[in-house]
Amino acid sequence: MEQQAFLERAIEQYGKATYNFAYRLTGNDADASDLTQEAFIRVFRAWQSFKPGTSFLSWIYRIVTNLYRDELRRRKSRFYQEEMPERAVAPIEEYVEGHLSEPVSKALADLAPEHRKIVLLADVEGCSYQEIGQIVGCSVGTVRSRLHRARGQLRKLVNRYMKSSS
Amino acid sequence: MNETHPSLERIVDYLHGELPPAEDAAIHAHLAACPECDGKRSDELAITEALRAYASATERDLPPGLATKIRSTAVQTQTGTWQRFFEGLRPIVMVPAAAVVALAIYIGYNSWHRAAAPTPIQAAYYVNNHAAMAASAPFGDAAPPITLTSDDATR
Repeated sequence: MEQQAFLERAIEQYGKATYNFAYRLTGNDADASDLTQEAFIRVFRAWQSFKPGTSFLSWIYRIVTNLYRDELRRRKSRFYQEEMPERAVAPIEEYVEGHLSEPVSKALADLAPEHRKIVLLADVEGCSYQEIGQIVGCSVGTVRSRLHRARGQLRKLVNRYMKSSS
Repeated sequence: MNETHPSLERIVDYLHGELPPAEDAAIHAHLAACPECDGKRSDELAITEALRAYASATERDLPPGLATKIRSTAVQTQTGTWQRFFEGLRPIVMVPAAAVVALAIYIGYNSWHRAAAPTPIQAAYYVNNHAAMAASAPFGDAAPPITLTSDDATR
């Protein structure tokens, strides 16, 4: 079946990249696996809407970032309702904070999710501002300003963590 | 000379290859001649390289079993999707379809069993005939007292 073959090819070619992107966003294997699985299910369902010649990675990264954003919102609201934390931090963020030790990863974990996505897409995935805009769903101007703000924060955070570790 | 230095944002855009060609060339030339701005470029590049190094150091393979799980879930989803599709479609399709079938049966039945065209009743003939019969047998049982409007009018 054509749809099945499409999924097979997508997993084979982009499964690892998608999982790694999800892992860098979430910082843990369980959430990254869930995100990856859900993203590929959506690809499978909407396979006919994929236009050949366009970037598959941009498409699936867009799905992953949207799923991640929705999951964060869901967790935040559940977290506030159930536990009333003193710190306004989602559990997923705390998990990332607790499990990553390197200055860069800790600094990344401290970034706001919107900023982290853009930094990862621009600097790790090597996406253009336009591609990032399509993935994240904002204008190139917004991508530019968020990236600059994120990099400014990242610079300070990396310096702070490097000083504290040395 | 400060105003001729590119902003940090411009240097970051330059590093990401996001500047128009003319501006890109201008900044490229400026960086070659300005150690201060080139230092900023190096700092920004170091951040990008640190991020890439972190990414490659933490790169992972797909967890074992994840691809299989995706495949099996996709197949289940597919079945579920079709089921949902038909379930969702049922009232939408079945009600109009039933209406169309009922209409077709009605029209078909009528066209096959079309009743004969009604024979026009010649009312004037019956009235005149009756009047003539009443006149010929005025005391017959069947003869009701008749008053014709037209007769009244002629009197």
